[in-house]
Amino acid sequence: MNILTMLWKNLWGGSRTMLFPKRPEVSEKYRGLVRFDPALCTGCAICKMRCTARAIEFKSGKGEFTWSYDPGHCTFCGRCVEGCKTHALTQESECPPVYTTIGELNESHTLTRQKPPAPKPAAPVPAVLAEQIPIPATGETK
Amino acid sequence: MNSMTTSLARLLIFPGLLFAVPAAWFFLWVERKAVARMQGRVGPPFMQPFFDFIKLLGKSTPPRNGIAGLLMKAWPLIAVSAAAGAVGLLPVLPASGGFQGDLILLLALLEVPSMCIIAAGFSSGSIFGEIGSAREAVLSVSYNVVFLLAILSVAASQHTFSLEALAQLPASPLRWLGVIAILICLPAKLHLNPFSLPNAEQEIYSGPMTEYAGPELAMWELSHGLEWVAATGLVATLAAPAVTLWWVGVLIFIAFSFAIVLLLSVVASATARLQIDTTVRFYWQCTLIFAVLAVAAALFMRLRA
Amino acid sequence: MNLWNKLMCYSRRHSPWLFHMNGGSCNGCDIELIASLSPRYDAEQLGVRLEGSPRHADILCVTGPITHNATNAIKTVYGQVCGPKAVVAIGSCPATTNVFIDSRTLEGPLDKHIPVDVFVPGCPPRPDAIILGIAKAAEILAERAGKKLPVEPVLMQLVGPGCGGACACGATKEIKTEEEVQP
Repeated sequence: MNILTMLWKNLWGGSRTMLFPKRPEVSEKYRGLVRFDPALCTGCAICKMRCTARAIEFKSGKGEFTWSYDPGHCTFCGRCVEGCKTHALTQESECPPVYTTIGELNESHTLTRQKPPAPKPAAPVPAVLAEQIPIPATGETK
Repeated sequence: MNSMTTSLARLLIFPGLLFAVPAAWFFLWVERKAVARMQGRVGPPFMQPFFDFIKLLGKSTPPRNGIAGLLMKAWPLIAVSAAAGAVGLLPVLPASGGFQGDLILLLALLEVPSMCIIAAGFSSGSIFGEIGSAREAVLSVSYNVVFLLAILSVAASQHTFSLEALAQLPASPLRWLGVIAILICLPAKLHLNPFSLPNAEQEIYSGPMTEYAGPELAMWELSHGLEWVAATGLVATLAAPAVTLWWVGVLIFIAFSFAIVLLLSVVASATARLQIDTTVRFYWQCTLIFAVLAVAAALFMRLRA
Repeated sequence: MNLWNKLMCYSRRHSPWLFHMNGGSCNGCDIELIASLSPRYDAEQLGVRLEGSPRHADILCVTGPITHNATNAIKTVYGQVCGPKAVVAIGSCPATTNVFIDSRTLEGPLDKHIPVDVFVPGCPPRPDAIILGIAKAAEILAERAGKKLPVEPVLMQLVGPGCGGACACGATKEIKTEEEVQP
């Protein structure tokens, strides 16, 4: 008789369905499409080497490089995001969209290589600590 | 002239095609929606079987050659006409001109769609069709013995084979026994769980219907819906009390049919599909004995009277 | 007739029947497709029915990178789907073979063999994404009814339509179909 009580409860308890255009919430850690931030990319191509599905292409030219991403290939594993040292790659917390033609969601960015930034001088040691910690006489800066 | 027009009106208007086809779609929707609700889902929207029908009319069919192709096109039409005829025979309106023996005609017409499904599976030439038809044939033999014996006991106890007389006469306990036996056979007739073996999709790829497409498939779905109306209408005729006002009688008929559809939906969603040997064993061992007892009791009462 | 045409468009959009075909997948996408029929996501609210025979279906859902053994089967089943049809490639595998890109057992992505209408990316895609893909394919079917376009761009016919498709005779023809939607 358990099945009958279960059916009765279902019949009067309402359905647990999400009615069509509504979609369930995904958590923040959901691994969706990869997002690229051109300002932070240094052109090291670690993401291309780590990509399992060859979704990321990296072409290096004179003084510039092209980073392109094909979500059709992507398996959303997140290895590229983990490998990027400057956090230029992030994954959006949304389901990837449905598309109708191959290559519709591709993106590619061409960036010029920048000179590495000048090293900053070391910050002066505060006076309180200077009494306690002996500062080396040579005063090397990095 | 009068009886001809009444017959045509019964066949085409009420309870014939004009009423039966929307009623068929309605009952199909009720079954799907009730099963969905009991499984905790939302289920299809109201006009769903109608849209399925229209969409199927617009699809193309594969070309069919030779006699087998002609037969394949014919079986769904025969099934639809037989089921529509069966619905037309139901005595919903009082004094609508039935005849002695129309119960037997109704049973014969109710059998034709099953025969057509069996024949269609074999004439489609696909191995899945043959397996599905074989299963349908075994199922048909098993439940039909019980079904016909139950109807026979009801008719013998009331001394009549006329549907209208059966509807008018007050019910006896034997008639309720017969109605319960018929209700046990209905899931097998209508391919519902637990006896939905010919429809076993994961096993035999739609069984007898595998090679059908487009308008032919629309006709099969329609015949299935009309079978629903005819079978539930038969049980409603036997079970519902007779009233004097004709429109009250019509409403009671529709209400009883609706209740039987809901009952069958509950059974369908509460059970799983049984295997062929369990099904056959169920009908031959468990229910046959009661059907035989019912016929024996009816004959005994008749001999005494 | 205009009214009939409109009714046909509406019916095609609201009654998409599926046939699911596995082209060598890991079964992740297949499980998510079945999950989309479960109570939480309930594809039946759109009128979706998972059919047992390709002849009954409008939409062919294919999963998996197409392996060498599956190629003929996919083409045969595509030829068996009747009338106006649409193909949905579920997962990243049928679109681009995903991580199996160097495998020797694959025959390439799905659109090398049959015309594909909708791609649902993901590995595996969520069931609500699959339902969105099916709804988009149903809309495409309705548009084809509305504009009286040919039912599919290129049809590759592998076996004769009358036989049950049990054998793959091996004769391939590329036919530009003139099949139009009946008014």
